[in-house]
Amino acid sequence: MKDSASRNIIALSTTALALPGIALADAPPTQSTISYKLSNYQEDDLSRSETPFGDLERYDIDVHQFQLVSPLGRNMSLHVDANYESLSGASPWYTSRSLDGEPIVNLSGASGISDRRTELSIGSRYYLENGSFGGNIGYSEEDDYRAIYFGFNTEKHYNNDLTTVSAGLSYSSDKVFPTDAALFNRVEEDDKQSSSLFVSVSQIINQVSSFQSALSFTEQSGFLSDPYKLRDFRPDDKTQIAWSNSYRRFFVSANAALHVNYRYYHDDFGISSHTSDLSWHQNLGRTFQIVPTLRYYNQSAAEFFTNVDDFLNPISEYQSSDYRLSAFGAVSGGFSVIADMNSWKITLTAERYLANDKYSAYDVSLPSTALVKYNRISLGIDFRF
Amino acid sequence: MNPTPKHFSFKAMGSFCEIQLFDESRIRVKNVVNQLAEEVARLEKKYSRFREDSFLTEINSSAGNKLGLAIDDETQSLFDHALNCFEQSDGLFDITAGALNKIWDFKKALVPSQAQIDVARAHVGLNKLSCKDSHIHLPRDMQIDFGGIVKEYAADSVARLARSLGVEHGLVNLGGDFSVIGSQPGNKPWAVGISSPVSESGVMAKIELNDGGLASSGDYERFFMHEGKRYSHILNPMTGWPSNGLRAVSIAANLCSVAGSAATIAMLKDESEAKAWLEDSGLACVYMDSEEKIGSAGLNSKN
Amino acid sequence: MRQFRTTLLMSICSLMLISCADVRAWERGYLAREEMAWAPDALESSLNDHIFFSKEASSGGNNAAGGGCGCN
Repeated sequence: MKDSASRNIIALSTTALALPGIALADAPPTQSTISYKLSNYQEDDLSRSETPFGDLERYDIDVHQFQLVSPLGRNMSLHVDANYESLSGASPWYTSRSLDGEPIVNLSGASGISDRRTELSIGSRYYLENGSFGGNIGYSEEDDYRAIYFGFNTEKHYNNDLTTVSAGLSYSSDKVFPTDAALFNRVEEDDKQSSSLFVSVSQIINQVSSFQSALSFTEQSGFLSDPYKLRDFRPDDKTQIAWSNSYRRFFVSANAALHVNYRYYHDDFGISSHTSDLSWHQNLGRTFQIVPTLRYYNQSAAEFFTNVDDFLNPISEYQSSDYRLSAFGAVSGGFSVIADMNSWKITLTAERYLANDKYSAYDVSLPSTALVKYNRISLGIDFRF
Repeated sequence: MNPTPKHFSFKAMGSFCEIQLFDESRIRVKNVVNQLAEEVARLEKKYSRFREDSFLTEINSSAGNKLGLAIDDETQSLFDHALNCFEQSDGLFDITAGALNKIWDFKKALVPSQAQIDVARAHVGLNKLSCKDSHIHLPRDMQIDFGGIVKEYAADSVARLARSLGVEHGLVNLGGDFSVIGSQPGNKPWAVGISSPVSESGVMAKIELNDGGLASSGDYERFFMHEGKRYSHILNPMTGWPSNGLRAVSIAANLCSVAGSAATIAMLKDESEAKAWLEDSGLACVYMDSEEKIGSAGLNSKN
Repeated sequence: MRQFRTTLLMSICSLMLISCADVRAWERGYLAREEMAWAPDALESSLNDHIFFSKEASSGGNNAAGGGCGCN
């Protein structure tokens, strides 16, 4: 008998709080959630014709993500994120020309690379009557890279909560210290700073749809080149702008939600891109949900991209054969199955990603031969208590 | 800040309803109150047992339909809460107990036969119906009554709506089910007088609320005496007979819905068990027992 | 201020070329569903951001950037 009454009351509160007129739209979490996601993604191996020498195998990456979201008193929440990533394989080192004139990719090191990344971030959010604000601070470390970052953002509701305006800024200070720097004549140590600012407006359109538009600016300065690439010289400054738009629509008869996202990006390396993705969140009863996702990405090349490294070029001139700076398109498709059993939620995701210079709508005068294809699978577990 | 609250009263859900708000602008308050009253009206229209066109009537007339009836999220959550109440009270709090009310005629003051009670009890039991995946399957001859849930839910919902409309200090009273929005200005709690079941105008206690809700349950006027025995209108669905519990209880909790469910459960328990349960619940409460003695629990620690 | 908010709201609506209905608090049941959130699965979103950031030249979206990594 003892204590069972208070347990009865706590149990009653859970369903009472779930009543729709009571649940607050933007409220601190009333329960704690621990989430874990294990993901593996493997890049497809390069073909022997593209890589006559060395290892054909590219990256194989395992990612472990942990997250804790917990209420902190009545008006606050605590967020703790920890990520661990282990990576093995090889990454393109430089691109040269074969005897018949075709570009060939040279992967780094016959034995490949292995690296680990550990990241920890802690944040908190304070909820007010008409909005909220929060901040976070984080640290990320690799064998050859270290970043310390922090951010602040605020959100305010207007017009009976129909409109939400948010804004935030963040700053990251990174240090790069390549391994075997002396051996390969790499830079010993350098740093880079990134500052970023965003504003977003979201609007409830009607009972089943809402829209969000966001603008973000990022300014990077310092060492922006890839220290592991043989000939990689990039400008010391980069300004990026991204304009993101999201639309959500619930279909009552289908019991499903449609997500449409579009982003335009531009930076002063000369790269522009368009990213569109669509996903359909189909409920199957109250427990299951399946989510097919389709994404199309398309970018132009950086002004100084070269598909074959020119070793005669003076160091004062910018050049990079990094495939990420080439013009290409990428198509990816994913599928998730979600089982939500009140306190437990399990998510399984599979994804296939294909980058190809032929998918680009931009002019591809210099196609990169190092574009990636990968498979990803993830298993996510959420526990609410 | 204007230190005097603006009062509005109206009749809804078969009760006297009252809303008090603190705000500088009378026009704005009026506008807010209209929206709040509209929400009460919406819930009454949807869940009233006495309206032919209510959704609850539609649910009840679906009894026996093998295909079941599609219900919306709000109704599903009310069922989820009702089922939770049923489970937490070991079957005492049952929204399907309507069949019993029919055979206990409190106006004529007649005690039904055990056979009548047994027949009625066959149509009672929330565990006999299925309500999941947004579909309800109500067995034949079974009836649902959200009476012990909807008014409390409405009070919470109205308070939530008031908050979203910018109200910082206010009180919602739907026929004795209270939900308050913050305290009164200057951190002054709202004092709610609890009327006594035994005297017409007497107040048996006062509970102060800084936030959350308060609900009461009692056999106030609805009971009858038969051959010297007192029959309360609060029927125990497990036995089919009136409960031998407290005369009245008022409970304060974080939500009016929680207070109301707890009050109903407390009234259905046997007297001594009810007192112990209230004591252990950790909620602030005032009650009157069968000997008309007033007791309380959790009042000093509250707020 | 109220005037400004209304103007702001109206311009947002006209930008989207759709009319915004006055959706009352109790009519937001569908909008409040988890699958209608901007990012229903936080870990999935941050993983995607991280992977795409390491494979493509673009970054940035509806939140401020986190920390950098050696992957790009």
